[in-house]
Amino acid sequence: MTVLRWLRSGRVLAGLLAVALVLALAVLAPAIAPHDPEAQDLTMTLQPAHLGSAYPLGTDALGRCVLSRLLFGARLALSVAIPGALGAMLLGAALAYAAGYLGGRTDRLIGRAVDAVTLFPPLILILILVFALGAGPTNLVLAIVLVDWTRFCRVLRHEVRVVVQRDHVAAARLLGFSHIRTLAIEVVPATLPLLVTLLALEMGIAVVVEAIVSFLGLGVQPDQAAWGQMIADGRTALHQAPANLLAPAAAILVTVAGFNLLGDGLGRKLAARLVEDRA
Amino acid sequence: MADLSRRALLGVLVAVPHSAPSAVQGYPKARDAVTIGWPGDVAGWDPNRRFVPDAQPIYKMLYDQPLDQDPRLNLVPGLAKAWQLAPDARSLEVELRDDVTFHDGTKLTSADFRWTFHERIAAGHEVDTARSWRKVVDIETPSATRAIMRFGSPAPTAPAWLAFLGSFVVPKHYMQKVGLAAFGAHPVGTGPYRLAEHQPGTRIVLERNDAYWGPKPTMRRVTVQIINNPSARAAAIESGNVDLTVAMPVRETARLGHIATLEAELNPITRIILLQVRDDAGFADRNIRLAAHHAIDKQALSQAFYGNAAVPLSVPVIPGSPGFLDDFTFPHDPDMARELLSRSGYSPAQPARIRMATTRGQFPADYDIARAIVGMWKTVGIEAALEVLDYARYFELNRAGRLPEATLYSFDNAIGDPEAYAGYLLAPHQPYSPWKDTALGEKVRGLFDVPGEAERIAGWRALNREAVEIGACMPLLRSVQTLVRRKDLAYRRFGNGWVLPQTMDWI
Amino acid sequence: MARLAPCGRRLLAIAQRLLAIAQRLLTVLLLLFIVLRVLPADPAAPAAEIGATRQQTSLDEALPMQFAIWLGWLVQGDLGHSSHLDRPVAGLLAEALPATVELAILASSVAVLLGVAGGLVLFALQWGGWQGTGGRGTGRRGETRAALAETGTMLLMSIPAFLWALLFILVFGVLLAAMPFTGRLDPGLSHPFITGFLLLDTLLVGDPRAFLSAARHMVLPAVALGIGFAPLVMRVLRASLIEAYQADYILQARLRGLSEEQVLLRHALGHAALPTLGLLRAQCGLLLGAAVLVEVIFAYPGMGRLLVDAMRNTDLSVIQGVVLAYCAVVLSANVLIDGLHLLLNPRPRAR
Repeated sequence: MTVLRWLRSGRVLAGLLAVALVLALAVLAPAIAPHDPEAQDLTMTLQPAHLGSAYPLGTDALGRCVLSRLLFGARLALSVAIPGALGAMLLGAALAYAAGYLGGRTDRLIGRAVDAVTLFPPLILILILVFALGAGPTNLVLAIVLVDWTRFCRVLRHEVRVVVQRDHVAAARLLGFSHIRTLAIEVVPATLPLLVTLLALEMGIAVVVEAIVSFLGLGVQPDQAAWGQMIADGRTALHQAPANLLAPAAAILVTVAGFNLLGDGLGRKLAARLVEDRA
Repeated sequence: MADLSRRALLGVLVAVPHSAPSAVQGYPKARDAVTIGWPGDVAGWDPNRRFVPDAQPIYKMLYDQPLDQDPRLNLVPGLAKAWQLAPDARSLEVELRDDVTFHDGTKLTSADFRWTFHERIAAGHEVDTARSWRKVVDIETPSATRAIMRFGSPAPTAPAWLAFLGSFVVPKHYMQKVGLAAFGAHPVGTGPYRLAEHQPGTRIVLERNDAYWGPKPTMRRVTVQIINNPSARAAAIESGNVDLTVAMPVRETARLGHIATLEAELNPITRIILLQVRDDAGFADRNIRLAAHHAIDKQALSQAFYGNAAVPLSVPVIPGSPGFLDDFTFPHDPDMARELLSRSGYSPAQPARIRMATTRGQFPADYDIARAIVGMWKTVGIEAALEVLDYARYFELNRAGRLPEATLYSFDNAIGDPEAYAGYLLAPHQPYSPWKDTALGEKVRGLFDVPGEAERIAGWRALNREAVEIGACMPLLRSVQTLVRRKDLAYRRFGNGWVLPQTMDWI
Repeated sequence: MARLAPCGRRLLAIAQRLLAIAQRLLTVLLLLFIVLRVLPADPAAPAAEIGATRQQTSLDEALPMQFAIWLGWLVQGDLGHSSHLDRPVAGLLAEALPATVELAILASSVAVLLGVAGGLVLFALQWGGWQGTGGRGTGRRGETRAALAETGTMLLMSIPAFLWALLFILVFGVLLAAMPFTGRLDPGLSHPFITGFLLLDTLLVGDPRAFLSAARHMVLPAVALGIGFAPLVMRVLRASLIEAYQADYILQARLRGLSEEQVLLRHALGHAALPTLGLLRAQCGLLLGAAVLVEVIFAYPGMGRLLVDAMRNTDLSVIQGVVLAYCAVVLSANVLIDGLHLLLNPRPRAR
């Protein structure tokens, strides 16, 4: 019943549809992709898109099927974005709760850590972490977690501090609830809307980061199907087979917009509900 | 029809005419200035330091070599009016011009010649010319215009090398006075242009040297825009930001040629595209090496990426040059490749693993060729991890002996002599070869010292064949230079692909 | 502490501030050192690659010693030597840093301008225009229009800067051939180097042609970079406008007979200045990050392109120097914006 209520928001619906579509395509990619994304055919290079044919979106400079690469690119993008965002959220939120709840020295220490890390532009830090750790999706996920936790921590810390000062939290402690229980029952739910919004937004950000890293050729194996890599290659193919560039660009747009809309819509709905519940 | 649908896809006005290139600049085009789009920057302004082929045309604007080449690649006088190689090839006498001044006004003398080819090398400067001129034991300077090079062992290709990579004469007194670092910031040469401005990685601006000893160039001002990305180079020439550019994909070049104001050229040149290989690590097994070579379909590469303009090669020499073998081909045979691999216990299910390096955007379709080869290898049972390098890093790794098992490279040989191909590609004692096997290496070394021309060439032919047969060298294609220029820009075309602004003219 | 005179207190506050900044910088340097020296997956490789740089000689020492030595060099202004470009890193940064900062400032201006314009339009749409209705008309139509506009801006915000960059090059650079899209200046013109900020330098030298050329080269990159941040500015503006319109002094202004435009411009917009400043401060790092790819695509010679090239060539000294420079820029921007904030908002903030 609550789920249906959430769906009444146009934003949530649109965002959910977009994300669900991309997720489904990513999961089903091995089954629905018409060709092996890495299979080359040097006699069929740079074929333009032709919807009824064997290559619906055409081929790239090595004769590989653009549609198949697009689908597997979705797989890669989400396999980086979802763990990355979740990891960043877990780390950032854990530290934020600790800081906001325990206060004092813990708060100051964590605050200093956040300040130090945020002195680097996030993308720059991710790039040099990828450079130092080496290429590959797991390292990229690690880099995203190590850098973007600050985004969660900074915002949540403030919110947690506000919530912690409310009466119901003090009441829970007085009643003898342990710290963990107090946190779980009184503090976390109050910050849930913010958390959910940030998570969805972070997934969108992570998709863009993955695209940037593969565009620069720093994050993935040169043959792997990655949207950023497809865009970089597609620049030279623009006049012969524009789908090479337009398809991955559209894919990134749909995915990121979907996450943004979902996060924004859900956040609003959840916040409104909290206000209702309290009233 | 197809064009229109593409435009519609892009969702932009269909009937937009191409505006005249000069409209972009916003001011009338100067008739004595030219802008060229170049794929890479120079690695510093010391011309003896690094043998980067793409930097040679730029160095040739600032510096001169003792000997030069004409468009047919014959040796002609440069800073040297005349030269004489002794019959035993143990000495080379050079007579320099007496009317040459450096950009700082000082006169060129044999002291500068001695400094460039002997003294600074002996002083331990970290220069690649220490390799090409390692045989020099002394240079006598009986007069200000005469120099006699003395070699420790016969050097039959010395005259050719005086016109080749890195053999530019640098000023002794200036360089000693300011030191190497300051020379790099304010270089001084004898060339038709002097350096006006250099923004590393972005552009180089050169101004005409009006006191030049040779033919005065028409262009007073040359701007070299450094544009690494091939599609950006294509966009730059299309929109009129540059007047000439090179190294774009063949298809793009063909498309640009259809624009009314532009002219596209596909010029086969003396460079060869090949795979340089190691003799150890993943390639220690000869079966794997030969299998890797047999698995490559060179004709398909030429068709897919060069519109069939690039000639497949079986030996590391270009057709028509000495050292070429008409009767030898290394066949494309994937079945043979699989057979060889299975002899060593490998198959597509259990592939042999190696690493491969390639450049990206340095010569047309380099990255595509590399990836295509990786794909071809996959089907026979070799799995290659691909890594991208640029030229400078390629040289660093090569020098340190740390290139991976296979490296895709476009090897320059502006002089066309077989020694400059295999002699460097396969010489373990040189820093240009990841192949360190001494058996072949000794043969290579020996051929450097053969004074008789016919004997020497025959020797190189035999070596080329053997190298390919044992899998020490995997030649792929003859390089094709892709060049697009404004129709009204003329330049002198050289067989080695040199693009020299000092030969350019507006017509 | 209460004994100190007000000016003494202020000095103490500044001193504390500086100390905090120094602490942050030190932590940053430590982090950087760890990432670049300790982490590399192939430890043998970078060590060999450092090659001719002086830093190589310190590799025999223990790590803390290495760190101290490195700090020592930094303090003397020795940022190392680029093994790849054969130039001192400090020199490379002297050219690249102002270029990036200039781009970032212009992009921020574009974001603010577009954001303010868009925000005003959005505001007018939702509140049904301000002529005569007292500005409070909400109506269903207004709300749907606003919701659609918001979704539209959210979609626009989902386009990353590098896609904007590619689009602009295609449309304005190639198809329409209206704008240049490589480098900073037209080929025929030279770059006077005084501050490194090209627009400023060309003005100082009195070369209007160079100024115009530089300006034209900045248009596409600045817009591509700034357009993604405009929706954020729009939101901040809209939120603060709504808040402002509920305040008393707006009613008073109307009672005094000021027209709606005057009310908007004089009182409401000013209310948005501080939150916008706060937004810029928060987005500073993200803007610089997005600038990296914009610089690469436009071949704009800033720090982003320098960093990417250095990573491709494993030029450790340059990477170190550039990342440090980025942190310095972020720090300076924070300090500057905080200062501006204090200037515009003399009311002391509750601590």
